[in-house]
Amino acid sequence: MPRRGNWRLRRRGRRKELDVAGLRKNFADVAAHGDEVPLFFYSDLFIKHPEVRDMFPISMEAQRGHLVDALVKIVSNVDSSSDLTAFLEGLGRDHRKFGAVTDHYEAVGSSLLATLEYFSGPSWTPELKSDWAAAYDLIGSVMIAAARADEELRPPWWRGRVVAHERRSFDVSVLHVQPEPALDYQPGQSVAIECSSRPRLWRYYSMANAPRQDGLLEFHVRLIDGGAVSMALTSQTAVGSELRLGPPVGVLTLKQPASGQDLLLVAGSTGLAPLKAIVDHLTTLPQPPNVHLFFGARKADGLYDLDSLQKLAAEHAWLTVTPTVSADPRFAGETGSLPDVVARHGDWTGRDAYLAGPSEMVQDTTDRLMSAGLAKDQIHIEDFGWSEP
Amino acid sequence: MERALTTAWFDEQSRMSPEDLLTVTFPAARRGRRGYDEDSVREFLRMVHGQYLRMVNERTSLWQEVQRLRRRIISGQAEGSDANGGPSGDSDGHVHAVRILSAAQVTADRYVADAQAYSSRLTEEARLRRDEIMQEAQRYSDMILEEAHAKAREAAVSVLETAPAPQTYQQQQAARAELAYLRTYGDVYRAHLRAYTEGILRGIEDWERKESSFGEEVPGAPIAELPMPDGNSYHYG
Repeated sequence: MPRRGNWRLRRRGRRKELDVAGLRKNFADVAAHGDEVPLFFYSDLFIKHPEVRDMFPISMEAQRGHLVDALVKIVSNVDSSSDLTAFLEGLGRDHRKFGAVTDHYEAVGSSLLATLEYFSGPSWTPELKSDWAAAYDLIGSVMIAAARADEELRPPWWRGRVVAHERRSFDVSVLHVQPEPALDYQPGQSVAIECSSRPRLWRYYSMANAPRQDGLLEFHVRLIDGGAVSMALTSQTAVGSELRLGPPVGVLTLKQPASGQDLLLVAGSTGLAPLKAIVDHLTTLPQPPNVHLFFGARKADGLYDLDSLQKLAAEHAWLTVTPTVSADPRFAGETGSLPDVVARHGDWTGRDAYLAGPSEMVQDTTDRLMSAGLAKDQIHIEDFGWSEP
Repeated sequence: MERALTTAWFDEQSRMSPEDLLTVTFPAARRGRRGYDEDSVREFLRMVHGQYLRMVNERTSLWQEVQRLRRRIISGQAEGSDANGGPSGDSDGHVHAVRILSAAQVTADRYVADAQAYSSRLTEEARLRRDEIMQEAQRYSDMILEEAHAKAREAAVSVLETAPAPQTYQQQQAARAELAYLRTYGDVYRAHLRAYTEGILRGIEDWERKESSFGEEVPGAPIAELPMPDGNSYHYG
């Protein structure tokens, strides 16, 4: 007897349950064809609906991966409908910035069925077909409902005009962007950015300032070797360039602003951006907690924002800034890997820690802090998770 | 279309059937008159008329739907198996088209990936070269400083050793000559250092220019990247 899930839908007046086990089995069989599956899906979709092609980047390689990841996540979470609902709602909201509308859901559903049918071969049955159709109906309706609810609250994307571009070092630029309309967010959050010379490629960047009266957003952009968007942002944007900004996302925000808990902030390279936004926010509080900010880079010229941080530290007694450099023993300040420097700098057990930077650095620092006695819920890091398109 | 059909199906439940027509009864006419009560008959006719009108409207909208589907089939956009319930010549053609488009997409993906790899290697090499230039410059300036220090130390020592309190005219002359020599020496080194530094700056500017013009040569050629955030993907600096 196949195990049945708890999804029910009413059809023609009587209850019909989805055969979840059957769907999973069928999906596993189809997924065994690898990259052929998403390749077929997108080609089918673009042939039937050529107008949809323009919503995607030229290279579809990453996109195919995203599709398969999302499908795997959906199929494996079909049982826990609350997790799945949250995932789908996020996906629905997230797709607004790509210009997805209700009609597209129907087109995608039809291509999805065609793809499943093609790769299922003789094992494709009318029951499978109607179960997949019903499952997709549910998926689509959750996504559409979330997107509709979101429409009441905010635009699908914001227009951003570059008003200043400052090249701070060989490979780091600081951009000031004026969003239109005003964009509200929490200090520490990020937005996806698309620039006109790299259409349909969205990359997340954190705002490096708390929301301001004039609405300006500061971004710290580091040139990644071969990075399409970072290269366009650092070398091809100038004052007047137009960007598109997605809605603010991210969980690296101040957890208990009123608790007075002292903070430890550890930033590697442009990971400084979200943490500087938090510091910026703290400067507006009547009684900010004590904050120790470690700012690390490989070489001294990677400490692209040190002047501004030291100015802040001079103005605010509660803020201590320690610059560290990992690959230049001649550096006059702290040298060594950021986790080492943080660990040898004292006892942080009474503090809430916020970490941002290269994932390896964040992981190492987390491990060091936990072995030094910090609880997991004292350590805050960014988790982009499923919000990535 | 789906909504129209659903509505029609639900309406079916409340609609009068032909059998219903046969079982309709009317109250008897008022005394002294023959036949049915006229108001009741008219009311019944109005209802039949309404139902008939609705069926005509439904028929029209269904006809339009049929026409729309026909046009789609003719323009080759029929959703293959949905429309004819199984693989056919059309769906073979469609699968063929899907394969061609897939091959084209894979080729495009490969070009983009190659371009990305090339650009990545280029930036990486440029970065390494820059580090080398900086290191070399550092070494050179260290060397100049070291040499200048050594010279100055020598000069100072020789002055201390050879010049006690009151100096003869010749000694003063010699000291002045030594001072003039050191000044010239310093000037020469400064000029050297300036020329060298300017050379490096020119090199860097040239390189920046090349880099930005390299970027412009491939406008709108998006390069697949790690799905993680770009700028705040936080690589060390």
